[in-house]
Amino acid sequence: MGATGKDRPKLFDSGKRVDGRSVDSLRSIKIEARVLNDADGSAYIEWGKNKILAGVYGPSECIPRHDQSLYRAVIKCRYNMAPFSGMEEHGRSGPNRRSKELSKVIKEAFENVIISENFPKTQIEIFVEVLQSDGGTRCAAVTAAAVALADAGIPMKDLINAVAVCKIDGQMAVDPGKEEDNFGESDMPMAFSPRTGDILLFQMDGLLSRDELAEGIGLARKASEKIRKIQVDAIAKVYDEPKEERFLVIK
Amino acid sequence: MMWDIRPESNSYSVIYVAENRIVMPGEVLSDKPERISYAFVDKGKTYSTVVGLYSEGKLVPLEGPYEPLPDDLIVGIISEIKFSGYSVEINCPYVSFLSSREIRERYDMGDAIFARIDRVDEVKSIDLVDAKKLPIGRLVKVSAVKIPRIIGKKNSMIDMLISATGCEISAGRNGYVWIAGKGNATLAEKAIRMIETQAHTSGLTDRVAAYLKANSQK
Repeated sequence: MGATGKDRPKLFDSGKRVDGRSVDSLRSIKIEARVLNDADGSAYIEWGKNKILAGVYGPSECIPRHDQSLYRAVIKCRYNMAPFSGMEEHGRSGPNRRSKELSKVIKEAFENVIISENFPKTQIEIFVEVLQSDGGTRCAAVTAAAVALADAGIPMKDLINAVAVCKIDGQMAVDPGKEEDNFGESDMPMAFSPRTGDILLFQMDGLLSRDELAEGIGLARKASEKIRKIQVDAIAKVYDEPKEERFLVIK
Repeated sequence: MMWDIRPESNSYSVIYVAENRIVMPGEVLSDKPERISYAFVDKGKTYSTVVGLYSEGKLVPLEGPYEPLPDDLIVGIISEIKFSGYSVEINCPYVSFLSSREIRERYDMGDAIFARIDRVDEVKSIDLVDAKKLPIGRLVKVSAVKIPRIIGKKNSMIDMLISATGCEISAGRNGYVWIAGKGNATLAEKAIRMIETQAHTSGLTDRVAAYLKANSQK
C-alpha cells in the first residue's frame, strides 16, 4: 500500500521497528476516566500520539422515534476526526465516508456486549472525538469508549478493547504507528472481548497468508490483555481518588 | 481452529475497600451459576455486568442509570399537565404518569412531588400513586445508585443530615434529593455531594458527622 521506493522508510531492521519498539510491544497508553462534567460517562485516552476523547450519554429517550425499538436500546455512535488532528489536511469536519465507516464498526462492536434489552425505547449514544491522530485511532476509540461506557454504569457483558497488527517488511508486529500503517504491507485492526476471547471487530487492509493471520491474532490477543489491565486501572482510579469536579488537562 | 488462542485467566488487579472488592464488567463473581442482581450467567459461571462493589453474593453498582421498579419512592417534577393527570419527570428515559383520580391536590408545571411507583409495564410505562406536593426548596441531582448511601442503614445518614442542617430532606430512589425548610440548605447540599463522591468508602457516616459539625457552627 501507499508509497514505495525512495520515500519509504525501512520499517523493520535487526529486530527493531521504525520507532525502536520490538514486534510485541505497544506504544504507551494512558487512560483517564470521568473527564467530562455533563456526560454520563467519559474517558480520555493517549495512545502513542493519538489523543481521543470519548463520551457516553444515555440511556435516554430515543429520538427520532422511528429509530426506537420496543425490545432494546438503540446504540448510536459518532466517530469524528477534528480537522486539525493529523499531518494531512482533513478538510471540513463532519461525517465523511471514512468516519461513517468507523462509526458503524465501533457501534457494531459494542452491540455485542451492551445489555440493551434492559432499556427498551431508549438510545445510548457514544461520541468519539479524535483530537490528534497517529495511526490506530479506531482501536484507541473502542478502548476509550469501553471505559466511558463502564463509567456511565451501562450494563455490559465485558469490558472490550481493540488493537491492530501489521505486517512490516515481512514481519508481523502489534500496534502499528502512522508510518507502519501507511508504508506497511498489511494492517489488521481487531476488537476483543477478553472474557470469552471473541473477536468483535475485524478488518484487514492488504494481504496476509493463513499463518501470518494466525500469528497476528496471537500477538493481538496478548496485547489485548495488557490493554485490559490499563482500562481496569483507569476505572479503579476514579474510586481510589474521588474528584469533586471533573476537568481535563491536555498537554 | 485457526484462532483458538484464548486468554488464560480472568484475574485482574483488584483493590479492596473494607471487605468489598471492586469488580469490572465481565469479571467472574462465582464459578457456579448464581442469581445476583447486575450479574449474568454464562457457561456455568457468574459474571458482573457493571463496575461495582462485590462481597458475599451481593453486587452494588457504583454508577448507573435509574431503573424504575414498583414501590420505589421517588421525587419527581411535573412536566406536563394532561386531561386526566400529569406527566412527571423522574430522572429516567421513560414517561411516568400520575392520574388525577388518585390525588386531591392540583399541581402546576415545575412543582416537585414525592410519590410511589405503582406499576411498571414491559415497555416501561410508569404509573405513580400516593403523591404529595413538596414545599419550596432546591433539587439536588445525584446518581441513583448512591441514594441508599445517602439514606443510610435504618435512615441513619439522612436523619443525621436533617438534624444537623435543620432542613427537610426527601431522597427519592431515582436520584433526586429535595431540600426544603429553613435550615442550612447549602450545607446539606455540600454534605450530599460529599456522600456521592465517597459512597464506596467505609467509615463515611463518621466523616460526614465530623464535616457537618465543623461547618454548621459558622
